[in-house]
Amino acid sequence: MTDHFRHDLVALVPKLRRFAYSLTGNRQDGDDLVQAACEKALRNIDQFQTGTRMDSWMYRIIQTLWIDDRRRATRRGTALDPDDAHLSDEGKAASLPEDRMMLAQTRAAMADLPETQRAVLSLVAIEGLSYRETAEALAIPVGTVMSRLSRAREALLPKLGLSQGPRQ
Amino acid sequence: MTAPPMIDRAQLSAFVDGELSPEESAAVVMHLADHPADQAYVDDLFAANAALAKAFAAPMAEPVPVKIRDTIRGTIMGATPTITPPSAQIIPFRPRPALVAGGLALAASIAAAIVLFQPAPPSALALGPVTQGSALARALETLPSGTVLSESADRDLMILATLPTDTGPCREVEAVDRAASQIELALACRTTNSGWQVEVVLKEPLAAATGEDGFLAADGAEVQGLTPFLDQRGAGLALSPQQEAALIEGGWTP
Repeated sequence: MTDHFRHDLVALVPKLRRFAYSLTGNRQDGDDLVQAACEKALRNIDQFQTGTRMDSWMYRIIQTLWIDDRRRATRRGTALDPDDAHLSDEGKAASLPEDRMMLAQTRAAMADLPETQRAVLSLVAIEGLSYRETAEALAIPVGTVMSRLSRAREALLPKLGLSQGPRQ
Repeated sequence: MTAPPMIDRAQLSAFVDGELSPEESAAVVMHLADHPADQAYVDDLFAANAALAKAFAAPMAEPVPVKIRDTIRGTIMGATPTITPPSAQIIPFRPRPALVAGGLALAASIAAAIVLFQPAPPSALALGPVTQGSALARALETLPSGTVLSESADRDLMILATLPTDTGPCREVEAVDRAASQIELALACRTTNSGWQVEVVLKEPLAAATGEDGFLAADGAEVQGLTPFLDQRGAGLALSPQQEAALIEGGWTP
C-alpha cells in the first residue's frame, strides 16, 4: 500500500505544484507547500481511505496547510514573483511580450482574491474539478463553492479586461 | 408563446464549468444564440479559465523537484544530492509554429556581424560549468545579444538575450547544429566564482525550425520553453543593449 501510495503521489506532484503555485503566487513558496503537504500526507497515510481520490485528499492538505501558514504569517502579504512585481515598474512592463504580460496580470489578479476564493477558483478553473469534487476536497458545502466561485469571478474578470461588470 | 426562462450568471458559470446536464447545456446554447451579452460573458469565462490555466501551468512541464521526490520516496534528506541529474533537465522543446520575424533583442540585431573566433572544438551545449576559454565561454563573456559566432562550418552560436535573475545575470544561448540537424537552446548563468554554468538545455530538430531561406528567426516559442526556468530564478526583463554592453565592458562584475 505504501509503495503504491508513494508512486501515485509522485505522479500527482506536477498538479499539486500547479495548485500550490496558484495559491501562493510564488514558485518557491508553492514548492515548499507541496513539500510540507507530502510530508504530512505520508505521516498520516493511515487516514487515507483506499479507493477515494488521492488528488482531492492532497488538495485539501495543501489548502489547510496554506491557510494555517497564512494565519501564522499575519499581514505578511503574498510574495509575488519578481517577474510580476515589474508590472508597475516605470512602465517597463510595456516591453514585456503581450502574452507574458497577460500571464503576469492573471497571477496578480489571482493574488488579490481572498484565499478561500482563490482555492475554489483554482480547483474548478485550473484543476478541472466539479463543484461537488471541489466541495469534498475543501470540506465545504457545494453552495459555498458556487458563491465563492461567483465572487471570485466578479472580482477577477474586470482585472483581466474581460467583463464589463455586473449585468444584472 | 411562453417567455424563455431567465438564465443567470450562476447558470452560465455552471455551463462553462461543465456542471449542466446535456439537456440543460443545450438550453443554454439556444439561449446564448439570441442573448449576445450572455454569450459575451460565457466567452469571458472561457478566456479567464484559459488565462488561469496558462498562468500557473509552468510546473506541469517540469520534472518533479528532487527534494519533493526524495521526501515522497522516503529517501533520507541530506544523503542525496540536491541537484537534479543533468539528464532530467534536458527536455525536447515543442516544434515552433510558423516563423515570425522579431522578438527579443534579436530583432534589432538580426543582421549583426558574424564573428569568427580561432577554431575551437565545437561541442554540444552541456549542463554544468562552462569550460574556461571555450568558444561558449568567450561568447558568454564578450558577445552582445544577436551576434552570431560560427564555431565551425556547421555550427553557429548566438546569444539571444541577457536577463537579470535572483542569482545574477543569465544569458539565453542558441546553438544551430546543421551537422546534427538540431537546435539547442540553453540558459547559462553567471556563477559566484566568475564562471558560467549551463542550467537548462532544450533541443529540437532543425527541420522544424528552419525557414525557407534557412534563416532562423526568434518567434517566442523558445522563450516560452525557458519561461518556467526563468520564472523559477525570478528573472526580470531582458537587459537593453546598453545595460548588456556595460556588463560585458565591466567583465560581468556587479
